[in-house]
Amino acid sequence: MSRWTIFILILLLGLGLGLVYGWVVNPVSYQDTTLESLRVDYKTDYTLMVAEVYHQEGDLDWALNRLTLLEDKSPLVSVENALKFASQAEYTLPDMFLLRDLHNAIKELE
Amino acid sequence: MEQNRGNWYLLTGLILGLALGMIYTWVISPVREVDTHPNLLRDDYKDIYRSLISRAYQANNNLPRAEARLELIGDNDPALALAAQAQRFLAENGDNEMAKVLANLSAALQISSGPAATPIPPTVSAISEDETSNGSNSGSNSENDGQDSATSTREPTSEALSSPTPSPTSSPPFILQDSSPICDPTLGETLIQIIATDGSGEGVPGITLEISLGTNPSEVFYTGLKPELGLGYADYLAEPGLTYQLEVPDSGLVITDIEVPTCQTESGDSYWGSWEIYITHPN
Repeated sequence: MSRWTIFILILLLGLGLGLVYGWVVNPVSYQDTTLESLRVDYKTDYTLMVAEVYHQEGDLDWALNRLTLLEDKSPLVSVENALKFASQAEYTLPDMFLLRDLHNAIKELE
Repeated sequence: MEQNRGNWYLLTGLILGLALGMIYTWVISPVREVDTHPNLLRDDYKDIYRSLISRAYQANNNLPRAEARLELIGDNDPALALAAQAQRFLAENGDNEMAKVLANLSAALQISSGPAATPIPPTVSAISEDETSNGSNSGSNSENDGQDSATSTREPTSEALSSPTPSPTSSPPFILQDSSPICDPTLGETLIQIIATDGSGEGVPGITLEISLGTNPSEVFYTGLKPELGLGYADYLAEPGLTYQLEVPDSGLVITDIEVPTCQTESGDSYWGSWEIYITHPN
């Protein structure tokens, strides 16, 4: 093998090691994340909070504004995801009703 | 010549490959953070999260749930963090309504956590030869040697709150208990201090206060935003030489002629004092 071939092989080996190090061993650590990156249970609780406030105040514009921060495809999708998780995690019925009410209100709007 | 170059090219290739790999993974295509925890949120998103928790608490009045949610954010002292955010909101964008919602939850947390430092009404003896002339004199500087002399034996006392009765969301009718200048060189600032207490002497948080100056619009602040000084405590940084008016809107209480007094140290040096107001509701 020529020196260039060996050089390229070693370069690729280094690249592979670099990728493993950067993605697995020591990946970039985020301290300043956004609401979008929250785990699904936290997103669901966030959505539930919006539903609690909406239930009390009836301000759908405000609710939509808060849900937009989750950066899902649409606020409706956010509430659907929350309902799905809440159902799996066996949230209490009153909480489910709050989410359902918010879901219905947004759906009517669309 | 060929032998002198040795195998350094292998090391060069390895290092170059590693460098390229790390640039790609750290800069070009870093790991996309998903499934994160609220305590990793950026500060402005934490503010949004706290605001939402506070509004949800206002809606459902479920304090344990609010506490559990606040725990997720990871603040060392959630009540202090809420109070600080409320103060920031007031200072930055004047969002009074949101500040009050935050302050209410902060106060509720403080009450539920039990004992808190509550400044107890006055052992203040503010003696002034001519209190009403403070305003006319206060425009002068420290060379105005001691037309007024006021002494203070104010003793903030820590006292355990036995029963958390005050509700932060309701404002009982307050009456003026005392409004007087104080001279306390340790304060270091010219403050208008307000202490709101209930009939049993316990601090009442969440009371809306409006301070105005002449024709200037009122500034709004609340008791309980500095929990370390007592649940019913609030203060306002006053400017010497100006006459303020404080209103407790929910009680229809108006306190006028509030001015920063001039005081004297024992050695005869003049300095600006503060003003202390005690309001209470007798029930």
